[in-house]
Amino acid sequence: MNGLEYLINNFKQFPILIKIVWILSGILFIIIINLLIYLKFLRGYLRNKENIFAKLQSEYESELINYLYASQEEEDPTKLIIVEKMKTCIKDKFNREIFLTVLSKLKNDISGEMAESIEHLYVKSGLIDYSLAKLKSNKWDVKAAGIKELALFEIKNVYSEISKYKDYPKQEVRNEVQLYFVNLFQFKGLDFLNDLKTPISEWNQIQLLEILQKFEDQEITDISHWLKSKNNSVVIFALKLAKIYNQFQVINILLELLAHENKDIRVEAIEVLNYFQTNEAKQILKNNFLNRSTDEQIAFFNMLGGIVEKNDEDFILKNVYHENFEIKTLALKLLKIINIDRFKMLSRSLSDVENQTIFNFLEKN
Amino acid sequence: MDSSTVKIILLTIHYLFFIYAFTVIGSYIFLAIISAIESIQYIKKNSFVNYNEILSSTVSPSISIIAPAYNESLNIIENVRSLLSSHYVNYDVIIVNDGSKDNSLELLIEAYNLVEVNYLINEQIKTKPLRKGIFKSTNPAFEKLVVIDKENGGKADALNFGINISKSKYVACIDVDCLLLEDSLQKMIKPFLELTDVKVIASGGVIRIANSCTIKDGKLLDVNIPKKLIEIAQILEYLRSFLLGRMAWSRLNGLLVISGAFGMFDKKIAIQVGGYDTNTVGEDMEIIVRMRGYMEEQKIKYKVAYIPDPLCWTEAPDNYKILISQRNRWTRGTIETLRKHRKIGFNPKYNLFGMLSYPYWLFYERLAPIIEVIGILYFVILIALKNVRWDYALAFFILAYLFSVLFTIVAIFSEELTFHQYKKKGTGFKLIIVTLLEPFILHPFILYAALRGNFDYYFNKKKKWGEMTRKGLSKK
Repeated sequence: MNGLEYLINNFKQFPILIKIVWILSGILFIIIINLLIYLKFLRGYLRNKENIFAKLQSEYESELINYLYASQEEEDPTKLIIVEKMKTCIKDKFNREIFLTVLSKLKNDISGEMAESIEHLYVKSGLIDYSLAKLKSNKWDVKAAGIKELALFEIKNVYSEISKYKDYPKQEVRNEVQLYFVNLFQFKGLDFLNDLKTPISEWNQIQLLEILQKFEDQEITDISHWLKSKNNSVVIFALKLAKIYNQFQVINILLELLAHENKDIRVEAIEVLNYFQTNEAKQILKNNFLNRSTDEQIAFFNMLGGIVEKNDEDFILKNVYHENFEIKTLALKLLKIINIDRFKMLSRSLSDVENQTIFNFLEKN
Repeated sequence: MDSSTVKIILLTIHYLFFIYAFTVIGSYIFLAIISAIESIQYIKKNSFVNYNEILSSTVSPSISIIAPAYNESLNIIENVRSLLSSHYVNYDVIIVNDGSKDNSLELLIEAYNLVEVNYLINEQIKTKPLRKGIFKSTNPAFEKLVVIDKENGGKADALNFGINISKSKYVACIDVDCLLLEDSLQKMIKPFLELTDVKVIASGGVIRIANSCTIKDGKLLDVNIPKKLIEIAQILEYLRSFLLGRMAWSRLNGLLVISGAFGMFDKKIAIQVGGYDTNTVGEDMEIIVRMRGYMEEQKIKYKVAYIPDPLCWTEAPDNYKILISQRNRWTRGTIETLRKHRKIGFNPKYNLFGMLSYPYWLFYERLAPIIEVIGILYFVILIALKNVRWDYALAFFILAYLFSVLFTIVAIFSEELTFHQYKKKGTGFKLIIVTLLEPFILHPFILYAALRGNFDYYFNKKKKWGEMTRKGLSKK
């Protein structure tokens, strides 16, 4: 009897549980061996891919530089050769990915006529067709990538197609749609806010504002209807626009927003009114100060810092013992500004350590 | 007791061990599948994110990096330089010198032209008082730096002081000896800003092992695999823990721990729950459990986010003595946290947190080493009684070993297909060799450390942090 037969005979005599365990061990062993072989292949493949990527990237970069420095004529032979070459290259998915990476990088780094030249190449090489095809994809990430490419290469004539996705369920697609609008149409692109049903994340709000600030001499459109939007994120975004673009004409709407049902909007409205140093807001906020949240109260005291007057003293005195440290500090700071004698008198009468610390700090600053 | 009763008891014990082992393996497979789904989602989501606008924006929310330091004079200058090199615009760095006995403060004063400043502290969380004061730089290049010199109160107390001082909306609590990549802040802040339907209360990052990596001027230049087996084994352990375990728990929104080495918090909520607990050595886990408990009680939809990108690199123990000391502390931290918040466990009021995350940690983290040791002791008794069915034992040992190897290989695959940090030729071979050896060269020591942790928790209450000697990341 050879070794194998001995093992098989032994195995046959095992109880069923042990048979299962040995079978499982055998399966795991085979899986491990296969994974190890695959891992070796994978690591080699990834290293190889990186090398090929780097090589092709530098090749495409030099081709693109030749393209950009050829004559302005679209029928220039050098340009035509490069376009034909690229058309063939991008039929392969991997090559297309590299070419797109190089083209995107260049597009981000340059401007003016050269940037326009890159846009032409994007269209002529046929890359645009792949981006448009991505729009039709059922996969959200492919769709978002397509929109991003169309925005980067400034393809404006797909506006209506992209508009369809402004309330798309997946947030990442919506983000790209919004960035497309603003990158290509600046303030006009913000029209999507008119009837936006889904929220704009704070992340995207920051990106949109940054993009808008890159475009100088743009006339901001009327933001008043966005400030009245039922979509709270649109209102918050409009408040940021009002502050950055000094929209003094919407002050009355801002005053109305002090009674908005959403606390974050009320706080943001106070901060914008503070920026505009709006006296009218003072009385409104003073009247129902106690009914407001701590965040609103702090925002209001920050606002008072810029517009405080002698006749605010009674209101301020009521808050120098406020339970909130920040409000108490701000109240004492304002008291020092409008009535230093009263401030000093108060400092002498206090025994509370926390208040004493605040006084000491304010006396030195 | 007659012999049939003893047999029934023994059989019951056998089945309990069997069920436990079966559910452990089942849970690992489940977590691996979930983590794969989450990793794919994460890679897809971040493949076209542009971080540049967030970086330069003045309307981006402010972040305070809080780094406690105790006797860190060896590396403090370089570490602070690394923290000051973030690409994010709206941030400051608060170094809390927690009663160091060395000359850390003097070195900082000299290197960064610090002068004492008058600072009003809103002591929302009670801490140890200031020692020499609060310092800022006269050099505009270091205007983001604030150095606090306070009396020693431990890491948690130092972090609480930093939270009190911070004027930012978000705080990133880190170990001062960690190396942060330049884009780490914008990646960590992203979940707080992008989610519109839930409140993100904290985000945690992956911790990577920097031993043997090339680091210069606070920047990671080259990723290398360390030489010592114990260090490579920890790399594998971290890959399993961060790329499989935490990634899956993040998907399930059941993450109970954010590494103390690098985590970001919504400051307001951190203060509302009372900041870090100074009476535990597992303050990083404890604060997350408390914050989650608070959100559940307030009935506010929330999330603890997780960023799998390799953003934070740290030095891992390179000898068994320090490793055991570190894991001993981790064990005590887990026991303290789970005991303190035991009302959460199996409590439907806390939803998934109480019914899944807590029980999982209790059974498969807290009790795992104890159950394993009971199993070993029981096996030894059976050997002594010559009552071992070796055909059974051998089959199960081999199955367990192969499963542990397979699980680690899956973690390596996860790393290769996502972040692919260990690119050099030969590295894969080393990782595989250590994968085969790890159950013998690392696991027994971790088991021992966990037992010591249990012993120290119950019988040596005075033990606190233990030894953690560092060589410095760029001194290799």
